[in-house]
Amino acid sequence: MSVPLALRTAVALTVGVTLSASVVCAELARAATAQTSETVTPSLAPDRLHAKGSLTLAIRYAGGESGLPSPVRKSLLKLPAGLGLDVPVLRSCSPASLRSRGASGCPSQAKIGSGHALVEALAGSQLITEHIALWIFVGPLRDFQPTFEVLGEGRTPLQKRVVFSGTVTPGRAPYGEELQLDIPAISTLPLEPDASIVALTLTVGVARHPPGREVNTVVVPANCPAGGFPFAAESTYADGSTGSSSATAVCPP
Amino acid sequence: MAKSGRRASRLVLVGFLGCSCLFAATAAWAGQELDFHVAFQPDELGASTNLSLSAKLVSSTGGPLSPVTKFVLYAPAGMRIDARGAGTCTAAVLKQIGPRGCPIDSRAGFGGGVGALSLPDETIQAPYTLDFFFAPREGGRLRLLIYVSARAPATLELVLVAKEVPAPKPFGLGFSVEVPPIVTFPGAPDASVESAFVTVGSPDVAYYERVHGRRTLVHLRGLIVPQHCPTGGFPTEGKAYFADGTTLTVNPTIPCPSR
Repeated sequence: MSVPLALRTAVALTVGVTLSASVVCAELARAATAQTSETVTPSLAPDRLHAKGSLTLAIRYAGGESGLPSPVRKSLLKLPAGLGLDVPVLRSCSPASLRSRGASGCPSQAKIGSGHALVEALAGSQLITEHIALWIFVGPLRDFQPTFEVLGEGRTPLQKRVVFSGTVTPGRAPYGEELQLDIPAISTLPLEPDASIVALTLTVGVARHPPGREVNTVVVPANCPAGGFPFAAESTYADGSTGSSSATAVCPP
Repeated sequence: MAKSGRRASRLVLVGFLGCSCLFAATAAWAGQELDFHVAFQPDELGASTNLSLSAKLVSSTGGPLSPVTKFVLYAPAGMRIDARGAGTCTAAVLKQIGPRGCPIDSRAGFGGGVGALSLPDETIQAPYTLDFFFAPREGGRLRLLIYVSARAPATLELVLVAKEVPAPKPFGLGFSVEVPPIVTFPGAPDASVESAFVTVGSPDVAYYERVHGRRTLVHLRGLIVPQHCPTGGFPTEGKAYFADGTTLTVNPTIPCPSR
């Protein structure tokens, strides 16, 4: 059994001709793209002052070694002052129920939002992509502070269920409250690297209030500061690096 | 941890050893040492599982490692591969298109490691990846295709075949892989391998398939832990054959799953 001549030639040529140059270039390129970066895009619906509706935050992660962002471990989402959450019937859900029974393990009144995550991981020579559906629930009070629980479920190629928690704390001006998400490692296969979130979309509340039903909604602030509603995200990644981004939602017409 | 062996060198490839918690075996000869770690995840008797294996070779003399020409692995009696419902891929597809050309339900595992290219004054490390696929059976025996790929500093694409072979007692499942010489450039030793890791199995793997016209989420059982664990643990054996005519044998015993 022997390696085809073409392959031998390719290996030899690659090693002989491009070794030193490619190593240097690869290192330079890697350094330039190693840092994980993020962008946040907020949107309010309906886009009207003091309206009851929904807030959607779309976060994209890019860069990182091997072309994959480093897995995010903590995300601090800063919301504009005056933004509220209207919960007509306060029910909560425990992380244990979500882990064992999924979304059906929690009362529907506890659900405050939903979302989607796109995760990617390297396994062998392949980039594996998986779509994760997200549900957001009111969690149990912790130190008298409100919390929320996020359930993530992916089906293929790996059937996975992930539950992580968030806390709500007062922020500093020009922001109002801050949501801190503690995101666990998303394991793939033994000895293979954890998956990275490359896109995360969270929607809290509902854009259209169904008639005759009490639903959890976001309340748009009654006043819009000059320049628009400020949003920001700060993240800590598995490689120890940090990143931040900010964005503004323009004031309603 | 167990110790045995004659001669150590690089290892590429397949592992169907097993165990609940992580276990290791080390073999040393002629100034080289091979370190093996194997684990089942999850570690339940009779359960569908992932089997992960990692191997690392260290040369204490500083000389180049002798290339492996063949690797044989014997897994414990009672361990089996349930490939029902799995697709298959061919070596021709892998060579022409690569892993993307293979059906998603033909995947059997992943892996990688670090290879070594010995230059006159230095040794260059070259990361590589491994992709495992089910292949059509031959003579009723299972075959796995192993796609080996390296991108930098040298480009390499290679397809190996792991063939199911009869296993002597107390083993129940055997696989043999022949490894061709990997030439680097004239006058230099063939490429060798410093480390390898492999994960095979599919306890969490699922994919959609049309079943009676309906889109259905399908699970493969894949690798199955034996129903019973013999006293002392699951016996396994790995044997590496080297280009210089020597061999290395390791006999790690896999601890029984905790109850």
